[in-house]
Parts: sequence; structure tokens; C-alpha cells
Amino acid sequence: MRGTRFGMAALAASLLCGQANADTIKFGGILPLTGPGALIGTAEMHGIQFAVDQANAKGGVHGNKIEVQFEDNQAKPDQSVLSFNKLTDLEHVSVIFTGYSGPTLAMAPLATRKKVLLVNAGAQADALAKASPYLINTLPTIGDEIAVLSKWLVGEGKKQGAIMFENDAAGMSGRDDYLRSFPDAGGKVLAQEATQFGQTDFRPALLKLADAKPDVMLVAITAGLLQMAQEYHQLGLKFTVAGTTFFADPATIADPSSAGFVHTQLRIDAPPELAAQFKAKYGVDMEFFAKQYYSAAQIVLTTLDKVLSEKQPVTGENMHDTLLKIGKFQGLIPLEFKTNTASVPIDINVMRDGKDVAIKHIQ
Amino acid sequence: MLALQLLATGVVTGCALGVVAISFALVYATTKIFHVAHAGIYTLAGYLAWSLVLWGAPLIVAVVVSIAICTAFGALIQSQLYARLERRRATHLVVLIASLGALAVIQNVIAGVYTPNILQFPLAWSGEVLPLGSVRLTYVQLLTIAVSLAAYVGTMWFAHHTILGKRIRAVASNPMLADITRLQPQSVYIYVIAIASALVCLPGILVPMDLGLQPYNGVTPLLTATIAMIAGGVGSITGAFVLSVAIAVLQNLSLLVMPGEWSIGVTFFIFVIFMLFRPTGLFAAAR
Amino acid sequence: MDFLYSYIVLAEIYVLLGLSTNLLVGIAGIFSVSQAAVFGVGAYLVAHFLMAQDALPFVPSLAIAAACCVALNILVTLPSLRVAGDYFVVTSFGIQLLATAVFTNWTAGTGGANGLPGIPPPDILGLQIESTQQYVVLCTVAAGLGCLCFFLVMRAPFGRLLRAIREDELAVAAAGKNVLRAKVSAAALAGAFAGIAGGLYATFLSFIDPSSFDLDASILLLTMVVVGGARTLAGSIIGPFLLLALPQVLTLIDIPTTIAASARQLIYGVLLIAFMLFRPQGLAGERL
Repeated sequence: MRGTRFGMAALAASLLCGQANADTIKFGGILPLTGPGALIGTAEMHGIQFAVDQANAKGGVHGNKIEVQFEDNQAKPDQSVLSFNKLTDLEHVSVIFTGYSGPTLAMAPLATRKKVLLVNAGAQADALAKASPYLINTLPTIGDEIAVLSKWLVGEGKKQGAIMFENDAAGMSGRDDYLRSFPDAGGKVLAQEATQFGQTDFRPALLKLADAKPDVMLVAITAGLLQMAQEYHQLGLKFTVAGTTFFADPATIADPSSAGFVHTQLRIDAPPELAAQFKAKYGVDMEFFAKQYYSAAQIVLTTLDKVLSEKQPVTGENMHDTLLKIGKFQGLIPLEFKTNTASVPIDINVMRDGKDVAIKHIQ
Repeated sequence: MLALQLLATGVVTGCALGVVAISFALVYATTKIFHVAHAGIYTLAGYLAWSLVLWGAPLIVAVVVSIAICTAFGALIQSQLYARLERRRATHLVVLIASLGALAVIQNVIAGVYTPNILQFPLAWSGEVLPLGSVRLTYVQLLTIAVSLAAYVGTMWFAHHTILGKRIRAVASNPMLADITRLQPQSVYIYVIAIASALVCLPGILVPMDLGLQPYNGVTPLLTATIAMIAGGVGSITGAFVLSVAIAVLQNLSLLVMPGEWSIGVTFFIFVIFMLFRPTGLFAAAR
Repeated sequence: MDFLYSYIVLAEIYVLLGLSTNLLVGIAGIFSVSQAAVFGVGAYLVAHFLMAQDALPFVPSLAIAAACCVALNILVTLPSLRVAGDYFVVTSFGIQLLATAVFTNWTAGTGGANGLPGIPPPDILGLQIESTQQYVVLCTVAAGLGCLCFFLVMRAPFGRLLRAIREDELAVAAAGKNVLRAKVSAAALAGAFAGIAGGLYATFLSFIDPSSFDLDASILLLTMVVVGGARTLAGSIIGPFLLLALPQVLTLIDIPTTIAASARQLIYGVLLIAFMLFRPQGLAGERL
């Protein structure tokens, strides 16, 4: 009798504790779900959701279900600021995932002011490294990749370059880096030409750069890559086309007009079973951005786990401090945060026969 | 040579723009309505054709069906929106705002249904190139030139040699007299918008075959075409077409001397100056 | 609570813009889709002065920006006085697109497509306006002053003159009144309102970029005036509050976030058509 009563009490107690733990913890995601950046933004969203669903399937973090509220910013900075305020004022989220340099730079001062952890796993403008103490970049800025690319290109004998860059935060950062790194490596920049985000007619820009007779075209664009490749091919241009991880676009890789394109690629891999599960769920391959954000979500969940273990409230400040305290994470690849920005191994890839192949590994 | 290639691509863009200009000019000269929703029909044509091709229809069938649907849609806008406003004696401002609203509706329905992502026409031959000396043009670009010139010739012939064409020109030059002499301006308006909508389907399909589909891409070509129409002199079909080609070629050639991102800005700047000093245009028809 | 305050602040900024657009389009009858461009110039100027090496305090920056926008608006509406109504439409579109091109490409002055982040909060006579509540107070004062100004102007002989011009321009000219000067003055006042709204916007969002001042923004302003009601004070207030509430209302309905943006623009378009067909005077206005 006593045992049963004791047992009932214990059961009741554990149920109560279970009730107290069954909260939903909400994070935010401000990504381009429509517009020229939608392909990448949707992949990023899927990456995060995939990780969160997996965690929830295992019972959540300390019994708490995780929910991510996604807001569409169309890669526009002003939309992002409005969404940021909405998520922090209405939903009181402690962590917001972000992508694309312009929007992230716009939100960075707000993140500092409101003490919300901003997690970037896709944008690479150099300004991001110092934009806010509350901004964590899980990938290096474009400056690192361009330095590697420049050295390799000059080593291959491509010394005369012409720059094609997109007129926004990411593209202009890339352009500035090319202007610095390419001459540093021993090359020479002959010309530069700007394009717009969402532009699909690259012929005038291609023609103008071709007129400078470069060995290689140094590219920093994030949208319209496929059109650019096709028009490059149609115009019968022969110089090498080089870029950074922005080039990792499945449609462009598959298209024959991109044969011979080279680019740096931040190394990130997913185990085959995971990639297969992702494909089964979302119908597309798990490519670069999906992997990046899956990995970033895992980092956030690990941090959340530690914050809850230490019985701390889930605030932006605590998540930020704990993340930097943990420092070393095992996402899809090992990452270390010595500063706000992680450093990652870089490969040189070339596009051949519809595939993107690594031809050199750089640490 | 760079200049020659830029000239060639300018001619291609200009020809497509020319058809937009003459179709818009037809509507404006006749009905005096600033039919900005025309940009919506231009956009709609491309998406309809794309869907049909995606479902397996041969290109020519897709084009014909798109034209049919867009013609009907244009006539609908005239009969249900503009005609009603005319009956209520709405001011030009009101009609213009209504047209802006219609444009917003069309563009955003397309964006909602098709997503705002850039879509490509699934045609294997669209990227194939024909080298002409030092100039390289794709088959789509050559087709654009051919079809646009044919459209221009066709429209000129229609305006001067058919009864409906002459009726349209009569209504355009004097609506009140046309009303009295029982030329029935209102039904002429419907014919005009229908024809204009059919015409604008041609560049509406050809340009995206070359550059891809985006829902909000119709406004800038329409405005540039309007500038061509005004600069060429309202009422002159030839003026509209020629100026369109001229503007496109100038925009392309301007790249030789300035960075590309300023070329559109310069076009509008020149237009504004034009408006201040010679608002009647270069080929102004006697009004 | 903070979110409600943000809504009120933005609505009040747009009330100033509504007054500006109403003066130009509703009262002076000058069709304009370039008001967002003037708004943008005001915003960029204030941001520039607040972040410059020898930064100016908020109120002087606002004053300079307002003055520049007055001059700009006069310049921009001058063609309308030489050019017939429909031609000016194209000119207005052209001006807006030209402005967007300058905002996007003149990186040295406007930060280009990156925009200008980190705009400091304003300080008025030593008092820092940091929190959203303080902003509500500031913007309510500003909007209130704007409405008062509008009310007084319309009551004054100048307002009556503008009304008369709207009814019958020829008769007014025949009566010896200077129509040109009246229209230009209306445009100037509209410019001042837009410039001040720009300054408030820049400091509130602490970040501005060309996409807030493009053709879509101008169309939104036009929609506000049309829906709220043309030529009246009430219309200039109702329009912005109603149309800015629309996105919030939309979030209550379960629309997938991917079509939320186009759904909103779609509704604006439908509103424009519906009001033009069935109620051209808007909710609280006079016939356009």
C-alpha cells in the first residue's frame, strides 16, 4: 500500500516535472524565401528545419521542443530589420539565423543593442567579421577564399584578371578583396564591371570585360550564375572563369556551359545516410547551404543543451556567452571559434562533365 | 569587335522593345489611357508560354495559346475596368491609378503562383549560336529581330490598309467626331487593346526565352518603350519603333564609356531633360 | 507592447508622407510616383549629417534635409508645369527610377546597395531618443505638428486657392492668380514633409538602403492616399494606419511565408482597383 502510494506520488511528481519541462523554445530565421535569392534561402531553411526535426524526434532538448519561425526577407535589408524587430519584440527569440551579407550587416547593430544571438552560416562579406559581437559566423569571410584563389590562379599562370561583381554587400566585398589579393599574389587587375542582384543579362558586362583581354575573369556574384555561364558560352569567350563558394549552384554545375569554371569551396560534407534522408524529405540533394545551416543549427542546439544543463535562462546573452565558451563544436565538420568567425579548410574545385570536382586541398 | 557585338545585342533588345512601344502607342494614341497594366500582359505572356511548353506543348502552340489568352485578358481589362471608369467620367489620374492596381495584381498573382525565382525556358536550342562574322547571336536573338520586324511591318500595313486599321486611326485623331459619325469608339477601344495585347505577347515570350522569367521585369521595358514612343512622337508607329532601337543601341554602346550600372539611369536622365525642352518628340505627327 | 509602438511610429512617419503625397497628388493634382525618392533623399541626408566627422545634432540635420527636399521637390515637379499630364507621368516614373539608380550606384554617397547601417539615435536638446516609447512620443509630436500645419494651410487663403485650382485651373488663371506659384508652393511644402519623414525613418530603423525608397514604395504612398481619402487631413491619417496594419493582419491568417510578400502587394493592387471603381474619394476624402 505504502509502496503504491509512494509510486503514485513519484509518478505524479515526475509528471509535474515533465509538464514544467515541456515548453517550446523558439528561434528565428530571417532568410530570402522568395526573390532571386530564394533557391539558396530555401535550402538554408531546409537545413535548419532538418536538424531541428531530428532533435525534436529525439524528444527535444531537455524535453523542450524546438521551433523555428522563418521570416521571408527577400534578401532585402529593410525587410530584415522589420522582421528582426518583430521576432525579438513579439516572439522574444534569443537566437536568429541569417544569411546574405546585406541583411546581416543591417541587423548586426540591432543584435548588439538588443542582445540577440545572430547566427550566420552563408554570408561572407568581410565586414561581417567585425559587425557585431553578437554575430557568429560559422564560415570564413570571402577574403580568405579570395586570397587562396588568387595565389592558385597566379600559380597556374593566369596573371591578367578582370572582375565581375554584384553591386551589393557580398559582391563589393569580393571586388575589394580581389583588388587587394590578386596583385598581392603577383597578378594584375585590368578591368571591373558591376552587375545587379537579380540581373539576367550579363552580355554587356561580359563583353566589356572580354575587351580588356584577361586570362581569367574573377567573379563575385550570388545570383544569376547559370545565365552568366550560358551567355559566356554563347558569346564564345575563352578566358578562365574563377569564383568562390558562391559558385556552388547545382543548376550551373549541371549545365555544360560551365565546363572549366574553377572556384574555391569551403569544405563541408554530410554522411551519405544523412544526405539520403534529406533528399527523401525535401526532394533535392543536400548541397552546400543546406549542409552549412544544418551544421549551424546543430551548434545552436548544442549550446542550448549546455545553457539548459546549467539551469540558465535562455536569453541571447547566455546563448552567446555559452557558445563562445564551448568554442569547439562537432557539426558536420569540426569547427572552432577563436573569434566570432570560424575558420574552415578550403578546396579548389573545377566543374567538369556536370560535376564539381575537388582538385586541390588547402588547409 | 566589342562595339559591333554591343551594337548587335542592342539591336536585338531594341527590336523587342520596339514591339512593346508600338503596341503601347496603339493603345495610348487611341484611348488616351496610360495603360501601365500593359507591362503585366507582357509578363503574363511569357509565363503562360513557359507553362505550356513545360507541359509538353510544341512552342508554336504555346505561343498561339498565350496570344489568345492575353488578347482576351487585355480586352477584359478594357471592357470591365477602363470602360466602366469612362462611364463614370473618371479623371485620367483615376484611370492611371486603376491601371497601376491592375499591374500590381497581375505581377503579384504571377509571383505567388510561379514564385519570384528566375525561371528558364526548357528549350534545347535556345542557346545555340550562329556566328555572323565577328558577331555571335543566338537563334532566339535572331528570331527576336525577325519577329519584331515582321510585327512592325504587319502593324503598319494593318493601320494603313485595312478598314479596322483606318477606323482606329480615325478614332485616334478625333474621338468626338468618331462618336458622332457612329464609328463606335468604345468597341474600337476593345479592338485596339486586344490587338496591342496580342502584339506585346511576342516580345513577352521571346525576351524571357533569352534571359529567363521574373515576375517584376515588365515595368522597366514598358517605361523605356514609353520614352521611345514619346521621343518618337505620339501617333507615329515608325517613330516608336525606330527610337526603341536607338535607345537600346545607345544604352549598350554607352558601356564603352561608362560603367554598366549607370546606363539605365542615364536613359531616364536624358528623357527628363528632353521633357523639359522638347516635349513633343522628334517625329511628332500633326495633332 | 514594443511591437505595437513600432507600428505606431511607422504609421506616423507615413502620415507625414501621406500629407506630402496628398498635397502633391490630391490637392495640386500633380501625379507623382516619385515621392519615395524625395523621402529617400531626406533619409540619406539626415543619416549623412548624423554620421559625419563633425556630426550635426538631430534637429539641424532635419532642418537641412527638409530644406534640400523642398528644393528637390520643386525641381522635380517643374516638368509637370511645362508638360501635359500624361507626359509627366512618364517623367515621374523616370525620376523615381533615376533616383533608385543613384541610391544604388553612388556607393560613396549612399553606401550603394549595402545601405547605411548603424545610424545613431537622435538627440533632441540633450535628450537621447533610444527606446521605442520615446520614439512614439517624438513621432506623435512630429505627425501632430504636420497635421496642424496642413490644417492651417488648407484653412488659409492659400488652401482655398489650391482648391480652386483643382476645380478649374483656367478660371483661376483668368482671375489673375498665379497658378504656377501656388502649385510650386504646394510641392515645396510636400517636400518638407517628406524630408522630415525621411529623417525620422532613418533614425528609427537605424539602417536605410535603396529598397525602402523604390517604385513599390511610391506606389504604396499612392495607395495610402487613395484608400484613406484624397485631399483631406483625415484621409492622410487613415490611409497609412490602415495600410500598415495590413501586413500584421495578414500574419494572423495562415499564409505561407513564401507568398506573404506578393500577397501583400496583391492586396494593395486590388485595393487600388476597387477604390477607383467604387469609391474614388477613398474612405474619408474628396473625389480625386
